[in-house]
Amino acid sequence: MTAGLHNIVLTVNGEEVAARVEARQTLAGMLRDQLELTGTNLGCEHGVCGACTVLLDGRTARSCIVLAVQANGRSVTTVEGLAHDGEPLHPVQQAFAEHHALQCGFCTPGFLLTTVEYLDEEPAADPDSIRERMSANLCRCTGYHNIVAAVKDLVERRTAP
Amino acid sequence: MKQVGEAFPRCEDGRLLRGKARYMADLAFEGLLDAIVVRSPFARARILSIDASAALAADGVVAVLTADDLAGVEPALTRQFYSLTPAFTERHQVFLGPYREPVLAGDRVSRMGEPVAFLIATDRRAAEDAAELVEVDYEPLDPIVDPLRAIAPGSDLVASDVPGNIQASFRIVVGDPMSAVEAAERKVSGRFRIGRSVGSPIENRGAVGVPATGSEPLTVWSSTQIPHILRAYLAEFLRCREEDLRVVAPDMGGSFGGGIYAEELLVAFSARLLGKPVRWLEDRRENLANARHSRDQIIDALLAYDTSGSFRALEMRIVQDCGSANLFGLTLPFNIASHARGQFAIDHFDVTGLCVLTNKTRNTPVRGAGRPEATFVLDRLVDMAAIDLGIDPADLRHRNLIPAREMPRDMGMLYRDGAPMVYDSGDFPDQLRTALEAFDYWGERRRQGEAAGRNLAHGIGVSSHVEATGLGPHETARVEIDDSGTVVLTCGSNPHGQSHATTLAQVAGETLGIRYDRIETRFGDTGLLERGGGTFGSRSAVTAGTVVHGASVELRRQVLDLVSEMLECDPADLIIRDGHVRPRGVPGISVSFAEVAATAGERLRAEDEFVPPTVTFGSGTHIASVAVDRETGVVNLTGYVVVDDCGTVLNPMVVDGQQHGGVAHGIGNALLEEAVYDEGGQLLSGTFIDYLLPTAADVPDIEVIHRPHPTPLNTLGVKGAGEGSTASAPGAIANAIADALRPLRIEINELPITPQRLVELIRAAEAEQMKGPPGN
Repeated sequence: MTAGLHNIVLTVNGEEVAARVEARQTLAGMLRDQLELTGTNLGCEHGVCGACTVLLDGRTARSCIVLAVQANGRSVTTVEGLAHDGEPLHPVQQAFAEHHALQCGFCTPGFLLTTVEYLDEEPAADPDSIRERMSANLCRCTGYHNIVAAVKDLVERRTAP
Repeated sequence: MKQVGEAFPRCEDGRLLRGKARYMADLAFEGLLDAIVVRSPFARARILSIDASAALAADGVVAVLTADDLAGVEPALTRQFYSLTPAFTERHQVFLGPYREPVLAGDRVSRMGEPVAFLIATDRRAAEDAAELVEVDYEPLDPIVDPLRAIAPGSDLVASDVPGNIQASFRIVVGDPMSAVEAAERKVSGRFRIGRSVGSPIENRGAVGVPATGSEPLTVWSSTQIPHILRAYLAEFLRCREEDLRVVAPDMGGSFGGGIYAEELLVAFSARLLGKPVRWLEDRRENLANARHSRDQIIDALLAYDTSGSFRALEMRIVQDCGSANLFGLTLPFNIASHARGQFAIDHFDVTGLCVLTNKTRNTPVRGAGRPEATFVLDRLVDMAAIDLGIDPADLRHRNLIPAREMPRDMGMLYRDGAPMVYDSGDFPDQLRTALEAFDYWGERRRQGEAAGRNLAHGIGVSSHVEATGLGPHETARVEIDDSGTVVLTCGSNPHGQSHATTLAQVAGETLGIRYDRIETRFGDTGLLERGGGTFGSRSAVTAGTVVHGASVELRRQVLDLVSEMLECDPADLIIRDGHVRPRGVPGISVSFAEVAATAGERLRAEDEFVPPTVTFGSGTHIASVAVDRETGVVNLTGYVVVDDCGTVLNPMVVDGQQHGGVAHGIGNALLEEAVYDEGGQLLSGTFIDYLLPTAADVPDIEVIHRPHPTPLNTLGVKGAGEGSTASAPGAIANAIADALRPLRIEINELPITPQRLVELIRAAEAEQMKGPPGN
């Protein structure tokens, strides 16, 4: 092994991936530069804006402040894993489109994955809790109104008899 | 098929939702080098020496450029963004001093973060590592941070050729303000401060320079709002022809205010020098410190009125802190001046604007660009007057709004483009009535009285604004039918979230008889279109919409002429539906666009340019309700209504989205966002932990109601919608807070209204009340 490089094996969007990374390489950096999964966007690189949010073993993580080596042996879902090429949009993606919950789209992958995690917890369709949960991510375009509407719609559809 | 005005889903969404967008950092270039800017840690200093030898010896470093290396190019930006007409300059007593913003600092730095060296390496990490090895010997000087001190006699100078640190100034006088103020029975006045803020797109800036190859000119990819204008600045900098350059704006993660930046010039210079693509990607700390800031004014204002509540005169003195250089000239303070009277009939007006240099980051118009500042000041004065007169603010507003019968109304001054400033359309009283009704204002007022005395103080605030939109000088579009029969729309205005690929396609599609989502759209590439304006100043729906319409009308004429020859009939007897031309009332005959294209000897295309006569005025009225925690100073927004007039609505879903986003931006300016410098000119708000953007929890549900009054100034009747909602949010919120705390008689005159500031105001007012009523 070359000095300073680490071999890691992880599952990305359902496929096993082997990579050689520097210790300081972030998970976001590895996804973007080595796996060419550029849907994970970097907005602040200090863990606040949430644009780089991915699912790590099913839970949201800010891939800008997770090291790639920390993802060794774990499972990562990025925006590209929500609907593979040629497949229809994931229901969360579909709801965002229907409600105009995105404008420039840069923060959107992070919001989608935050929403996927939220829905997995079978929440109540309560706007206040949706707003609180969505406050994990920053959006400068939408004013959040339509993001909240999309998430509320998804929760209601899920709980509808 | 009717398309304009329909809430069609967006063409942009599929790829954005799948993570297939191509933002600046996603673009791949063969042999790409990465650059880092070495920046000044001091607000003001002499540079004694720069030693890059250790950095040059570091692994992966290709070059370190300093001011001395910028041979054969213009070393500084010196041309301000807008030109002014001689008549404007004379009428409004304009003074414009020299503007100079070095591309790389020479013998001194004038702000923290000023570029001192441009280090290029094989990859980003190597560049970051080596940047620390560039040794710059500075002799720090006392910085000039406070704009009021900067203009005081005897102040040191930020730039030696800008005496008094006043880079630009103007004065507008309408009517006879001096006599009107003297004759008025009542007056309210105050000093208002609007905090410095940062546009803060979630994508940081970035640029890539790609050297010329056989067929392609030197190309700059940049997250810019203004590709064609950037090309002109690049040509000046590189001392070459614009034809020898191409600028491309890829997908952009927002923008909200831009300008021209040294980094865009440096990637071009270094790509040409090194013969390889050179990329610069900003990080968030750089963005917060070095993206051009905005707002940051101190405004002394006075409103004079009669005991009947009739407004007589408005006076203002605006001190605009421009930071270290003033690319945009009069833009910000003049925008304040031209929006200062809002929707009210105020016949006498006197405003002075000063553009002051300080050792801080230089500024730019950011979403709203003077409108939020102007509207906040006026809204506060109106509510102060309402308290003085003992009447409800909504009533006082009604008494002074310009009535619909007086539209269009000449405002007695020139706009920045040199044309007489005229409110062209709108019904302000109807807008206010609609907002009051939608909010159940009078019902809320009653309930507010019932809730009084509880721990949380409840308040309601009203704001109304005008929004000059659709600024020129021009916009260009081409609409054509390619060999396959596909309609291709190319426009000089490039989007960064505004939905051009949907709304402009709706305009073209309705005219051409083809569904909008079957039209191919192309934006932001000077290689595709010789001229173009850009996306700023709420201009795209107005200027790009109009020119796309014009080009589409011409292309439709070409198609109908051709098919009328093919079918030997009158063009007036033809209709187009779903991309097929059919003779009216003759079933079974149909000519597809592909067949039209095949028959046409040369490609069917129409290119048009729209030169707007002047701006068109959109407007809006907002009502906000708040709950203020008297203990903590935390403000919660409990309700929000927007009534908007942006003329013809191209796509209500998109316009609503603009309103929501604009309100959230205004909420940030009202309550959260502030770029803070200490006395040494050091930025204290350098991360998103210190510089607070509003989150979903800070923004309430927003009800948007459209009351459109189309403008006569363009064929579509469109007025812009991108910034007005930012304009009213601070005023509505500030008024609501003052209303909630009315028993304490607290004046809200500084933005943002942070919990800390509000607690201080509450404590001071409580202490004052404890002393009891004044002795007289």
